[in-house]
Amino acid sequence: MSETRQATDKPNSSAEAVLETNPRGIPKVQFVENVEEFISKSSAPVEVTLGKFQETVAKYKFMEINFLNRKKGLELKIPEISKTLTVVEYLVSKQDSDEPIETTFELNDTLWANATIKSTKTVNLWLGANVMLEYTLQEAKELLENKLDTNQNALKNVLEDLEFLREQVTTMEVNIARVYNWDVKRRRTLKTTSTV
Amino acid sequence: MRMLNQDEEADVEVTWEDQQKINSFSKLNAKYSDFELNYESKKQEKEYLDDLTEELELADEDDRIKYKIGEAFISISVEQAQQRIEKDKEILIQELEQIQNEMNSINEQMSQLKVHLYGKFGKAINLEKE
Repeated sequence: MSETRQATDKPNSSAEAVLETNPRGIPKVQFVENVEEFISKSSAPVEVTLGKFQETVAKYKFMEINFLNRKKGLELKIPEISKTLTVVEYLVSKQDSDEPIETTFELNDTLWANATIKSTKTVNLWLGANVMLEYTLQEAKELLENKLDTNQNALKNVLEDLEFLREQVTTMEVNIARVYNWDVKRRRTLKTTSTV
Repeated sequence: MRMLNQDEEADVEVTWEDQQKINSFSKLNAKYSDFELNYESKKQEKEYLDDLTEELELADEDDRIKYKIGEAFISISVEQAQQRIEKDKEILIQELEQIQNEMNSINEQMSQLKVHLYGKFGKAINLEKE
């Protein structure tokens, strides 16, 4: 992963060879413990270091956008699955009664039709990619519960990753501020000593 | 939310421990806003269900109601509808309580962090919501 380069390339004694990452392999940024030591160990001028830091922030932000999109996708998908699941659960509760189910369903936008459904033991589930499969109610219920679980887990991971990314960005922003301020102060002292 | 610390005047060294505290604060802050949104939408939903309960009080017991399950309306008896609403409401109340608890705990953690961070960095750090 190209994002790792920043952290490993930093010429700092405390930089370990093994890169720390979160459970999904997102690299952790390095915190600058002592600015002066950090800069003096680096042969590059301060501007280059700052540029590198900013680049790292940009990379994390890019990842953040990706994860936010994933979050949005999952947040749409999860209610859809649970809605389908409620219908299947309703059908399950009705499967032993002879009483037909009366429904009003949407044919098209603003167009609804009535239908009477005889109690059923199977449903067709739309699996995507133009495929629909017939399942028994029990199987359909299990499948949907499973899917719901998987997606909820995925959402949990995405939220965790987003938190982690935010932490890295915050750390890096503080790094930038400190290196920058250190540089401003250094220049000021240089100026005063040279004018004296 | 700005978390940049302006060392220039306050000249305090930031340690790794401080950094972690800053990170936690920023994390909790974001989490709190998420919870807030979630809480509001759930509360709204519960209010709708409350209204519905009231409406159904007036309904004739022998009436059939078209109740939306999934994407379709299914004709069910008033009693069944009331049962469904009660069940949904119970779940919502539980969820609301849980969110409220989490928000309280986040608030507490944030005030603790605030005390520490303001104590150390003073005006050099800004932890208030914009």
